[in-house]
Amino acid sequence: MECDGKPGKPKLAVYWGGSCGGCEIALVNLGERLLALDERLDFFFCPCLLDRKNKDVEELDDGAIALTLFNGAARTTENLEMARLLRRKSRLFVAYGACASSGGIPALANLDTPGSLSRTVFLESPTVENPSRHVPGSSSPYCTPALSLPKLTGSILPLSAIANVDYLIPGCPPEPETVWSAIAILTGADLPPKGSVVGAGTVPVCDECSRIRGEKRLRRFVRFHEAVPRDGECLLDQGIVCMGGATRSGCGALCPGANVPCSGCYGPPEGVADQGAAMVGALGSVLDPGELAALPEGEMAARTDALFEGIPDGAGTFYRYSLAGSLLRRRRP
Amino acid sequence: MMIGVFLCTCGTAIAERIDVERLAAAVGRLPDVAWCRTVGFLCSEAEKERMEGVLRDEAPDRVVVAACSPREHEATFMGVMEKAGLNPYLLQMVNIREQVAWITPEISRATRKAESLLAGAVARVRRHAPLETKRVEAVPDVLVVGGGPAGIKAAIELAEAGRRVVLVERSAVIGGLPVRFEEVAPGMECGPCMLEPLLGELLHGRLAERIEILTMAEVTGAVGYCGNFTVTIGVRGRGVDRACIGCGECAAACPATAANPYDYGLGTRKAIDFPFPGALPNLPYLDAATCRRAAGEECRACKDACHLGEETVRFDEPVTTVERSVGAVVIATGGEPIDAVRFPALRYGEIPGVYTSVEFERLLSSSGPTGGKLATAGGREPESVAIVHCVGSRDPAHRDYCSGVCCAYALKFGHIVASRFPGASMHHVYRELNLPGKGGAALLRRGGEKSFFHRYRMPDGISLSPGAGGRITVTSDTGQDGITADIVVLCPAIVPAEGTAGLAKIFDTPLDHLGFFEELHGTTDTARGKVKGIYLAGSCREPGDIRQAMLGGSAAAAAIHADIPEGKELEISPVCAVTDRERCAGCGICVSLCPYRAAALVPDGKAEVNQLLCHGCGSCAAGCPGGAISVGYFTREAILAELEGILR
Repeated sequence: MECDGKPGKPKLAVYWGGSCGGCEIALVNLGERLLALDERLDFFFCPCLLDRKNKDVEELDDGAIALTLFNGAARTTENLEMARLLRRKSRLFVAYGACASSGGIPALANLDTPGSLSRTVFLESPTVENPSRHVPGSSSPYCTPALSLPKLTGSILPLSAIANVDYLIPGCPPEPETVWSAIAILTGADLPPKGSVVGAGTVPVCDECSRIRGEKRLRRFVRFHEAVPRDGECLLDQGIVCMGGATRSGCGALCPGANVPCSGCYGPPEGVADQGAAMVGALGSVLDPGELAALPEGEMAARTDALFEGIPDGAGTFYRYSLAGSLLRRRRP
Repeated sequence: MMIGVFLCTCGTAIAERIDVERLAAAVGRLPDVAWCRTVGFLCSEAEKERMEGVLRDEAPDRVVVAACSPREHEATFMGVMEKAGLNPYLLQMVNIREQVAWITPEISRATRKAESLLAGAVARVRRHAPLETKRVEAVPDVLVVGGGPAGIKAAIELAEAGRRVVLVERSAVIGGLPVRFEEVAPGMECGPCMLEPLLGELLHGRLAERIEILTMAEVTGAVGYCGNFTVTIGVRGRGVDRACIGCGECAAACPATAANPYDYGLGTRKAIDFPFPGALPNLPYLDAATCRRAAGEECRACKDACHLGEETVRFDEPVTTVERSVGAVVIATGGEPIDAVRFPALRYGEIPGVYTSVEFERLLSSSGPTGGKLATAGGREPESVAIVHCVGSRDPAHRDYCSGVCCAYALKFGHIVASRFPGASMHHVYRELNLPGKGGAALLRRGGEKSFFHRYRMPDGISLSPGAGGRITVTSDTGQDGITADIVVLCPAIVPAEGTAGLAKIFDTPLDHLGFFEELHGTTDTARGKVKGIYLAGSCREPGDIRQAMLGGSAAAAAIHADIPEGKELEISPVCAVTDRERCAGCGICVSLCPYRAAALVPDGKAEVNQLLCHGCGSCAAGCPGGAISVGYFTREAILAELEGILR
């Protein structure tokens, strides 16, 4: 059948879980290289771009898809089901982007319960108007036969905790260069060891950053809206929390290059287990206690607490993309 | 892999609180454990010998010793490993005595805990690598910065032991402040007489050939590390050749005069002159700014007056830079009085007859501007002298600490005034008296009958105002009647000497929150600085008296002998940080956090840790956000393996 794709080319699937669509945009951002990709691979399944149904995938033989790029978080029971289905049907199953790799932004909700998430979204948010106080659920009492929707999972896990992941592509979203280089590696002959992060660097972002690093002695943290960063000087040296030191390179240090601190979307560098902990450890080491040494203990504590006023959202700063994959993972009940 | 385990019961200390048999059985079941031997006292000579034999015969790949704290016997068992021909770092100790037996009440729980810790150790020791202690040759020579009591004492002690010493002194005089003092508390010895033999030893005694003295010189740069510093020193031209015999004819002939900084401006000196009579080295120096030639005149009076020939005096001598290689640096730059103009109520500089303590020392000194004659502003003999203690000391608005030396010298002033002017009264205006030590109490008796003590309350509780007949009225916050004095002496707080911060930057060694040099440990290791190879003596680390400075000089010399013994190589412990250049992105976090300045960014932007400077504390390894630094014997892999072993 013609609509099953051209049988000669290996099949590519790009699927989204709890996703913003940015990873698909990142793929489209390949630009004309997308045509070259289409020459080599058969875009078989990609709900964002193609009209093909789940059953088309279910009908395939196991391992019929050469490469699946799974992006977005596993937020619903449907996401879990699709992850397992695509895993089964794919020879290479790849966590594509920060959400699939380590939970991403959606995993910040791991600090809350699904119930309180629904309450916030449908009842308590200041912009919500919901006079009937109806909170959507997974089944509808208004239809016969009853309709059901996928349920929210209790917390978000990294894709690798749901299905066996062969490789990971980092980024929120991954830069086109990262995507292109990852696909080149994954469709090439020499595959790296299973579990590797592909398409990005191994060292921290600082390696690609042209800002000059100097003495780090932070008397306070400067929030992003409080100061215009000085050109050419390391943002962290200026008191701006830049996650570059604890973040994998490969993006070309785009954000610091544009006066914006790195927010850590490429996840931890090679060999670092917990990105947030690494950054907290590093920052704790360069805070300058200054004249604190002679103060009474209570005042010391108050002064050090005051230092952290510049970081009102610890989880969102240090674990913005990596909470699900970190040692913390989620709030304990 | 074959892991051997020794279980020490420490007599009954462990055996009574842990089920050793059950523990041994559990350890025997751990992966790769070839054998587990239970021993009574593993640290006894007999058992150490037996342990060595076992290690030789069995040749295990790794060894675990479960016994007491590694702080007690790790070195012991590492020594046994070495004797048996095994690398000592293939050992892991487990503390089942202090951390288990002694603190866990139930035997069953203690045993389970010990099992977990041993499982961790066995998991960890597998990741240990054989490590080697490296050796480098150290330069035995020493740089001493500062030629006061602390510096000269250190220089003498070092030279006495055969070391070559470079002594750098910023001023034109060695001996520091006491050579400018008439008498020194508590023994009332003559300051210059007391120090003269020591200074003579440095200048022309048997130690002189080993001590290079550079006066009017300052350290301008330093690179290197403990055992191998290269120091650059800027030497201002003295304007007088070393051949000078110090006859003083040039000074007599010189037509230009200016205020003498060595008398705090109370007297004058010629453009070419001695700092003060008896100053050592016995050489005049030329102050080019005061010299008539600075105003364009063709004056050469000094050259013409010199018996040794005109080339002995040199005009326009430039600053020369010299470079010296040393293995250690003694910082002995001392302290100085806080500027008295910071206390407006005391009106220093406004009311005639108000002096700081160092100025008063010079007024009392026979080598001072008045030849030791003390007179009121009006030229009379003083009838009353008031001494204000704690000016800026014990004062939260200035210096919260006690400067420690003022009470003693204030009472010394009382003694000198009483002996010279028996009719004069002495008024000590004080908040607290601090006179520790053997001679302290005796000082109180030195003032005689006309010595009076007036206590005031608050740090800013004293004000001075001009009184009738050129006298000075001292008003205190206790509301008592004011004291009237002819002369008022202020005892300013002792603060770090000018230039301390700059010197700290040159040697990359930290200062404390008060601006003094920070000791390696404030109580147990005050002669060593925070950075290896930097030693501290005297008031550069804390205000102190001459005794403390001398003792500090000796202590610094002793520490250098201990750390960098001559002819020996420096051992570099493998328990130090190493950067993985492949993983380092050069963020610089480690550079900023290393308390020993061992981490630095090298020209290609990557961080490197100097193994000679590293203390192996692990701060950089913990702080590195890129996971690029590991510490030998405490690698991330080993620590994580141990945790997994414990929590399994």
